[in-house]
Amino acid sequence: MPELRKDPILGRWVIISSERGKRPSDFTLPQDRRKEGGFCPFDSGNEYTTPPEILAYRDNGTDANKPGWKLRVVPNKVPALQIEGALDRVGEGMFDKMNGIGAHEVIIETPDHDATLASMSPKAVEDVLWAYRDRIMDLKRDLRFRYALIFKNHGIVAGATLEHSHSQLIALPIVPKRVREEVDGALTYYRYKERCIFCDIVHQELEAGSRIVCENSEFVALAPFAPRFPFETWILPKKHDSSFEDASPKQFVALASMLQETLRRLDVVLENPAYNYILHTSPFREEDNEYYHWHIEIMPKLTKVAGFEWGSGFFINPTPPEEAARFLREARIVRP
Amino acid sequence: MKAILVVDDEENIRRLYEDELTDAGYRVVCAANWDEARQALEHGRFDLVTLDIRMGEGPDGIEALRLIKELHPGLPVVLVTAYGEYQADFGSWAAEGYVVKSADLTELKGRIARELGEPAP
Repeated sequence: MPELRKDPILGRWVIISSERGKRPSDFTLPQDRRKEGGFCPFDSGNEYTTPPEILAYRDNGTDANKPGWKLRVVPNKVPALQIEGALDRVGEGMFDKMNGIGAHEVIIETPDHDATLASMSPKAVEDVLWAYRDRIMDLKRDLRFRYALIFKNHGIVAGATLEHSHSQLIALPIVPKRVREEVDGALTYYRYKERCIFCDIVHQELEAGSRIVCENSEFVALAPFAPRFPFETWILPKKHDSSFEDASPKQFVALASMLQETLRRLDVVLENPAYNYILHTSPFREEDNEYYHWHIEIMPKLTKVAGFEWGSGFFINPTPPEEAARFLREARIVRP
Repeated sequence: MKAILVVDDEENIRRLYEDELTDAGYRVVCAANWDEARQALEHGRFDLVTLDIRMGEGPDGIEALRLIKELHPGLPVVLVTAYGEYQADFGSWAAEGYVVKSADLTELKGRIARELGEPAP
């Protein structure tokens, strides 16, 4: 029988519909043809096609916007929001508006066109995390911004327009509603129990074990109790930590390892799926708190969001998270 | 005389571009899709390509752009499109510029002149 499950943080319900097909091989994966060959603006040697770099990790003695880099961050050539200008918040009758101010940056994670986060060296993945951190720290100094959303689209069906591995950052002048709801949900729980809800989730899940995918000394990867999507996987620090950018060097090493291991497990079980991941962290100006707990949510692109989901806010998930976690836990992955 | 390859799947657009760009003093060759464009690039020498993004057959303009830049590095390409969604495609960064598709070619001619280092028309 299908089961309705409630997300304890957001109060959102999902339908776990195990009759609909649950094994990895039951998914008709959307075609995600990788483009072969051709010029890529993100390749080493083609730096002239991008706006000047904001940040780069590069070999000593190499010039900015030239080859010799390991990772580059550049502004989006056609940004969703503009960096220059004032917010100019105004009311128009009952309506509110402001200028579309923000930062839209692209993190080019590697000069190697064919590398993926799952296949890169652990140090290269760690560099990606450091770049996220460095850009958040820099953008936080701009008092117009309230949140930095970092996300990755991997694969065409997940929205990636280039196969060259990259992530994006959009700094916003408002805290997005989805983030606000999650932070407020965590705060409500904290006020009631004086504990972080994510710490409680980590504690309970580690004890139960059935939704655990993998873990190391600092992090745990798990299938949440009420996942919207099949094989949705979260990576959380085991110890309470409200903001990603305050993570320690030791944690970045451990997170790089956990992220790679999780992506490799997804690659093995789901045959290199397209996916989105999103970094969830505390909004600017409330970074240091006891109620929110930063984490990464990975969503393989296996199902479509359609009328029912848009109309109800419910999601139908054909794979119980306990099954998904078991498949991922038992996957035989090759460690580098 | 500078040579321009016009790639567009609409015959009326190709004719318009050919007439106007010829009048502007360029040698113009037209291609209706990537296959024709590839053949033209193999057999002729061009100074610039104008490239439609949505083409009915074969690779779309963004994919054609990747191939042109791979096969002919340094050949300037101007994307010509009536659609904005291509802007979210990082592949479009390889183009030297883009203009909005219009029956008035003033902007396109200005962009071509700029890319070819000529005075504005």
